[in-house]
Amino acid sequence: MADVVTASELRQPVPKLELRNLTVARRTTGEPIVAATDVSFEVRRGEFVCLLGPSGCGKTSILNVLAGLDPATAGQALLDGQPIAGPGPDRAVLFQEPALFPWLSVRANIELALELEGVASPERAERTNRWLAKVHLDRWAEAMPHELSAGMRQRAALARALAADPDVLLGDEPFGALDAQARELLQDEVQRVWVESEGRKTFVFVTHNVREAVVLADRVLVMSAAPGRLLEEFRIHTERPRDLDDVLVTRVVSEIHGLLMREVDASVAREMAR
Amino acid sequence: MAERIEPRRPRRSIGAMSEGTERVPADDLESLDLTDEERAVLAKVGAILRRLSFGTVVLVVQDGKVVQIEMAEKFRLR
Repeated sequence: MADVVTASELRQPVPKLELRNLTVARRTTGEPIVAATDVSFEVRRGEFVCLLGPSGCGKTSILNVLAGLDPATAGQALLDGQPIAGPGPDRAVLFQEPALFPWLSVRANIELALELEGVASPERAERTNRWLAKVHLDRWAEAMPHELSAGMRQRAALARALAADPDVLLGDEPFGALDAQARELLQDEVQRVWVESEGRKTFVFVTHNVREAVVLADRVLVMSAAPGRLLEEFRIHTERPRDLDDVLVTRVVSEIHGLLMREVDASVAREMAR
Repeated sequence: MAERIEPRRPRRSIGAMSEGTERVPADDLESLDLTDEERAVLAKVGAILRRLSFGTVVLVVQDGKVVQIEMAEKFRLR
């Protein structure tokens, strides 16, 4: 009988990522809009955490702060106990759109990322080949992005992000633009890659897909409607790979779905009362 | 002569009632004649229940044996 111990239960002196009373505002042409407020949580090294919440609750804004793409409006964001001052090679971001260079082949896209990291040529080729094989794109290495399906392009983006060997992978709705089948395949791919990292890689994904969050994450942090606050945390202790039909997954999905629907209803009622 | 078939004695369960089971008082667990394996499962479930305030526990059974205990914990943060 297997015991399931997640990274969240392992004692680590300093969390990999930490938010302390973070408030983040979105820039607009008018007054800045507070996207998320007073958000505090830790992410341990080797954890897989999903941030889940209704549209506009500040999930992406929080992820941008963790990536160093946007500053915190108030509060602190820390990486290995140090304030995050900007982007760095220790963090890779996977966006909804794969953002591959269209004039470069899949192989060249991955190699370019490694070249920019200062990886020497022979190692670049070796790492590129290894990651192409890991995401099952070795046969498509010389293809141009427009020749690939949306799912394959996102797999190439995943390979490019992880080939540079970052400590942290941040995903901003990375499967949001994919069809249901491609999405499930990518979820399996990401689960496998994370398991194979054996606790060395920390993944933080933002999604509004409840099933995706529960299948992927050790911990699911559920946020309120805008301005986003943390509502509840779900810690899921079960082995991987997980399946959408697993009893525990179904049960937690149903609970989170109910929580989100109540939150959205309350938010609509507040708007109507204005 | 037709063989007389004894009615099957219902299996006894801990706490939860289901068809074909009878409830056993909590202080009468010894009467269940638990195997070492069953005791180990109960000990693990007990350990989980002691730390769990809100959540779900799922026992995965294959071929009559508990092969995995899964758990989801819920924490209210607001």
